[in-house]
Amino acid sequence: MSDTTVKMRDIAKDLLDKGTVHYIIGWEKGRFSNQSPPAFITSAAHADRLIWDEYCLASTAKYLLDDKFPAGKIGIFARGCDARAINRLIQDGQINRENIYIVGICCSGMKDPATGNTADKCQHCTHPNPIVYDILIGDPVPETDKPERFKAIEELEKLSPDEKHAYWSKQFEKCIRCYACRNVCPACNCRECFVDQYRVGWQGKQNNLAENQLFGLTRAYHIADRCIECGECARACPMDLPLMELNRKLIKDINQLFGPYEASLDTETTPPLAKYHLKDLEEFM
Amino acid sequence: MDVIEEQQWEPKILAFCCNWCAYSGADLAGLNRMKYPENIRILRVPCSARVNPQFILRAFQKGADGVLVAGCHPGDCHYATGNYYTRRRFQVMKRLLEYSGIDPRRFQAKWVSGAEADKFRATVTKLCEDVKAIGPSRKLGGSK
Repeated sequence: MSDTTVKMRDIAKDLLDKGTVHYIIGWEKGRFSNQSPPAFITSAAHADRLIWDEYCLASTAKYLLDDKFPAGKIGIFARGCDARAINRLIQDGQINRENIYIVGICCSGMKDPATGNTADKCQHCTHPNPIVYDILIGDPVPETDKPERFKAIEELEKLSPDEKHAYWSKQFEKCIRCYACRNVCPACNCRECFVDQYRVGWQGKQNNLAENQLFGLTRAYHIADRCIECGECARACPMDLPLMELNRKLIKDINQLFGPYEASLDTETTPPLAKYHLKDLEEFM
Repeated sequence: MDVIEEQQWEPKILAFCCNWCAYSGADLAGLNRMKYPENIRILRVPCSARVNPQFILRAFQKGADGVLVAGCHPGDCHYATGNYYTRRRFQVMKRLLEYSGIDPRRFQAKWVSGAEADKFRATVTKLCEDVKAIGPSRKLGGSK
């Protein structure tokens, strides 16, 4: 049992005993050795279920949306990606910082349960240390900007329109429209998602390439300037669509056009597409 | 059969024109009896910022061969700041469309004031020529 696990359990017991939080969200050991799904611990007696190992892949933050008006504080274990996701939800006006107690964990990356290698989402992680927390477990791990995470996008950009079309058609043909990407995404926090608005007719419900592509591109654009690059969408996708290649393309363009921006490092900075500057690049004259 | 269809093919171009500038510009072009391609279908919107990027995707999906978004020049927006948002939005959208395999020439955004009838004519003519040169749109997700 790792040091972090021990600390996690101690902290959880303490918080629940004292009544600081009325439940805490973390991870527990799943049915299989290579799975550690999220766990909701409601009493100190159950705190020993908590675990920290290399398979704690799922983000804890999105669950906060399921309990927007909690009876007491909600405790939550948060790595770098979860902490940014919490900031995302706070900035989007979905949750109150006062309602949550964040136990930050410095994370050195998780493993892909299928291959045992470092998970994709962790390979390109730029902020493994939580940026917002009430108490912190572990020592901060080194952080880098990882500009190489845009390499796949640059490769795709070089293709001709026909080749790009062929590539994305192949990808979106696989989509089964389970909306797992949306459900897991901390930036997808609209009360009613555009794909659920059946009377507006924004989008057809059929599962065909045209509708899948409309869904995929629209979703990517909706979160363009708010994506925190947690990579949860691509991880949750059962059909392995390279969704981060869409999100990172938008992030890359926004950085180039309107200056470097990383979403949700704080809750004050307005995302680039929600503001403007008189001296913005002019292409439409 | 295919040959005949190809000869008869004329592009369908959808133009989102802001009520205050581009639409008046188009109106003025009409009043001045200017000749521009009849492939264009104008859809009047209150402001170019009303054009949700999803409209563009929807247009391509429904079979538009080209899409134009036209609004007031920066600084001239009837609602003061609408077109500044449009500018940011569509500079990003344009690149996403290109990335997803839609020929960049199929989508254009332009600032056309109410007095610039000739600019409207020139923009539409150019867009139409470009789209004719590329051929019919594959649509979104279409095979052709």
